[in-house]
Order: sequence, then structure tokens, then C-alpha cells
Amino acid sequence: MSSTSYDTSADTSTSVGPESVEAAAPARATTYSLPLKPVITIRPSKPWAPLKLRSLWAYRELLYFLIWRDIKVRYKQTLLGATWAVIQPLTMMLIFAYFFGLLARLPTEGVPSGLFYYAGMSLWTFFSGAALSGANSLIGNTNLITKVYFPRLIIPSAAVLAGVVDLVITSVLIFPLLAYYGLSVSWRLLLLVPISGLITMLALAMGILFSALNTKYRDVRYALPFLLQVWMFISPVIYPASMVPREWRWLFSLNPLAGIIGGYRASLFGQPIHWGALAYSILFTIMALSVAAYTFRRMEKSFAEVL
Amino acid sequence: MRPIIKVENLCKQYRINRHKETSTHNDTLRESLVSAVRRPINRLMGNGHSSKETLWALDNVSFEVQPGEVLGIIGPNGAGKSTLLEVLSRIVEPSSGYVELYGRVGSLLEIGTGFHPDLTGRENVYLNGAVLGMTRKEITARFDEIVAFSGVERFLETAVKRYSSGMYVRLAFSVAAHLNPEILIIDEVLAVGDSDFQKKCFEKMGEVIKSGRTVLLVTHSMHTIIDLCQNAILMKNGVLVKSGPAEEVVNYYYSISDASKPL
Repeated sequence: MSSTSYDTSADTSTSVGPESVEAAAPARATTYSLPLKPVITIRPSKPWAPLKLRSLWAYRELLYFLIWRDIKVRYKQTLLGATWAVIQPLTMMLIFAYFFGLLARLPTEGVPSGLFYYAGMSLWTFFSGAALSGANSLIGNTNLITKVYFPRLIIPSAAVLAGVVDLVITSVLIFPLLAYYGLSVSWRLLLLVPISGLITMLALAMGILFSALNTKYRDVRYALPFLLQVWMFISPVIYPASMVPREWRWLFSLNPLAGIIGGYRASLFGQPIHWGALAYSILFTIMALSVAAYTFRRMEKSFAEVL
Repeated sequence: MRPIIKVENLCKQYRINRHKETSTHNDTLRESLVSAVRRPINRLMGNGHSSKETLWALDNVSFEVQPGEVLGIIGPNGAGKSTLLEVLSRIVEPSSGYVELYGRVGSLLEIGTGFHPDLTGRENVYLNGAVLGMTRKEITARFDEIVAFSGVERFLETAVKRYSSGMYVRLAFSVAAHLNPEILIIDEVLAVGDSDFQKKCFEKMGEVIKSGRTVLLVTHSMHTIIDLCQNAILMKNGVLVKSGPAEEVVNYYYSISDASKPL
């Protein structure tokens, strides 16, 4: 596609004055040689259309620009800017440390309670925020969808990936906190990177799926925050997995976030990692992404009409 | 001569609600569940399609465009002109038929698509350029040209929400005018800004159009059609009624419509 060069300045090249046009029309000069095969073919899509990941790659610059826009816009006209990304989990950490640590005396597996809640909350704030902004992204970008073509998958992807910046900021802040609480830093902290990647993929799956459903069923806007609230309480965000009674452990483990948040804490605090739970989370995420992408693809063609 | 655009039996069907106020737009889950139950029952009773009416926005439209040709598309409101551009721009999918495009397509169905009010002029040029399909390299290469044409150099670092509407439109048009695809699809975005800038826009469009590009142009201005286009097609109720040299089609349009010649 990019090999077909088009030069407007060359006048000396082969003239392809269209014969079908009346003689009065000026002769047109162009170096554009028609490709043998159409660059674009438009026809009704089949019910099970392929995902066309390659076209997604062709539009990577737009993805980059939309992520950049979302990040730029997020903290425009704020005094504190990106500090807000830190203030939220930090405040929640203090509140939780007070309520659950000091008042309710919930166990935190020997980890300083502040650190325990901070780790949980920074992951959770990212996940819920990214999933939610992904889910609302198509509706928020109606003007783009009804006026220009590009793979629509870019919109929820950009919205979710823009949240990663916040996750990076809050994660980096863990290091001074570790030092403050006098915990040792080990190579296992490197595991935080793939685990953060995993939760990003899960948030991406949620964002993609719900953004598509949201175009048709605006119920999503009300249902999703509620669903996320429930999800937070069944996930080990403010309590350790070990607090869940043994007979309910299997049900608890069906939640892909159990393995992810557990794994994140374990690698942070040097506890044994449940590789089985993590493997399940990976499998779940892959399945969720596939389901989300295909659902999106199937609904995609009607976006411009229903929005 | 091979065409650069080939449109073959293109149809677009919309289903519109006739009775109820609620259109398919704001379907809620509940309505959808209810209708999922009702639909088979209705069908059994033999009145399945009573509440929905089909509308053929495009009805078996076929035509070809040669490379370098400037084709005007005219017709009354609701003729299917915009739907045609939307299908060609891949914004909506056709119901049947197909289109073959032998080149990259740039669509200008609106100017300033993707402009964000909180971003600065500079940032919006990049964002808008990317949305319209330019690469970052292309935008950087043409940045000065775009800015010079718009005449808003002094406000490049100002958020566009502080722009006057004229400045906004000028910047948006400038980005669009510097697009460089082989096929350009334009929907009446020509007339923007004050009369001075309108003239500039018109000249620029003429320049773009005469540079050898293939252009599809929808407009209600018969002046524009005759000035800029060699050929034209006339659409009415989703059907291609007439095609041929621009002036001929425009005259035919006048002859079948009550509108007196405003030229």
C-alpha cells in the first residue's frame, strides 16, 4: 500500500487523461499507476469476520496519538496534574490502614498493612479505571466513528492503555514505600512487570467487550460501575486470599483477579507465588480477550449506525 | 482505461421504526429481551415487519470513476448522497453490492474531526492529521504549510477552545486541505470561515482537485459542480438517476425539480 507513490508536482510523466471525460477537460498529469488489485474492497462482511489484526498494526500511529491525547487531556487544567494518580491510592491506603488495620484488625499476612493496601489499591484503581474508561470510549468518540474510518478496536484500546501511565506512576512509588517500611528489594520485583501486563490485558478485554455492548445497550453505563464494585469485594484487594475459608477457596479462585493481585503482592513481599492461580488467570485473560475481540468485531459494523 | 473507483450494485438498507418513538438507537437490554420474545410470536402471527419499515438509502447504485476525474454528486436531501460517501469511506457497511478502490482514500465528511477543545492548536494539527490518515512524518513535513495557510500562527500554543469559531474552522480546514491520498471524498466542507477565507478555501480546493487527484464531491452548490467537476451523477431516493458531463446533469436536475435556476 505504501509502495504506491503519488507525486503531484511531476508534470512530465505519463498523462492519463480519461477518455470518458469530455474534451473540454484539461489533460491531467499523474504518476499514480493503478495497482492491479484493489487497495480497498468494500462489501458486506460475513458474520464471522476475521479480526484483521494486520490492519490494526497499520494504524498504530493513530493508536499512539489517541493514547497521547487521552493522557494529555486527563490532567489538563488541573493544578496537581499526574499527582492525582498517586493521591488516590495513597489516601485509600491510609483510610484502609485505619479502618481495617487499626479498627477491624484484619490480617495482612505479616506485611505492614499500609503497604498491603497500597499494593492492592494501586492495582485495583488502575483496573477499574481502565475498564470503565474503555467501556465508555466508543460513546465518547462518536464524532470520530461517524466521520472517519479506522479499525474501531483502536478506540477502547487507547482508552485502556492510557491508564497504564497511572499504573506505572503508582508502581514506582512502591519503592520508596518499601524502603520506608524497611523491606528488602529483590530480583523477584521484576515479576511485577509481566503481572502488570496481565492485568492490563484483562482490563483491555473488559474495555473492548463493554465498549461494544455499550453502543447498543446503554445499561452498561449503570451496570458496569456496580459490577466493578462487587468485583472489588470478591477480589483480594483489601484482604489476603488466606482469609477466605477453605471450603470457599475454589469459588474465590475462579476470579482471575485473585491470581493476579495475589501474585503481585507475593512477588512484592517475597511470599510464595501460586503459579497455578497465575496460570489460570493467564488462560482466563486470553479467553476473555478472544471473546471480547470477536464480539467487538461482530458489532463493529453497526457502530456508526447506532451511535 | 481502468477505473480507480468501481461501484457495483451497491445497496444500503436501513430499518426504521414507524410506530414507536423509540428507535433502535436507544435499545435497552430490557426492550431487546422483550422483542427477542416477541419477534418469533409476531412472525407466527404474520405481522413480523409491521412496526419496522425498510428504507433503501442506496438502491442498486453502480458507477465508475476514472483516475484524475472529479465527480460531483448532486440530488435533493435524503437522496442517499451522504450514505454513498459513508459507504465509500468505510464508515457504514453496504447491505449488498461491492466497491473496489484502487488507491488510498481520504474522507472529509466534516472538518475538524477529532479536534479536542482542551488541546492546543499544534497538538490538534497532529491529532487531526493522524485521524485523517496522515503519518506523523507527513504531518511534520507539512506542518509549517498547514499553519501558514490557516493564519493562526500566533495561537498555536493556545487551547483551541479559546479560538474564535473562524480560527477553529480555518485551522481544521488547513489540515484537511493538506491531505494527500489518491482518492479524496468531500462532503460540502468547502464553505467555511469569512468570505476572504472562503475564497482562499475555494482556490485551495480547486488547486487540490486540479492536481490530478480523483475526487468525489457532494455539494448543493451547482456553481461548484460546474466549476470544479467534469462529470456528475444525480441521485434521488437512493437511485442513481442520471450520470454524465456535469453541466448536462445539473441542467437535467433543474428540469426535473421545481427549483428555479439560482445561477
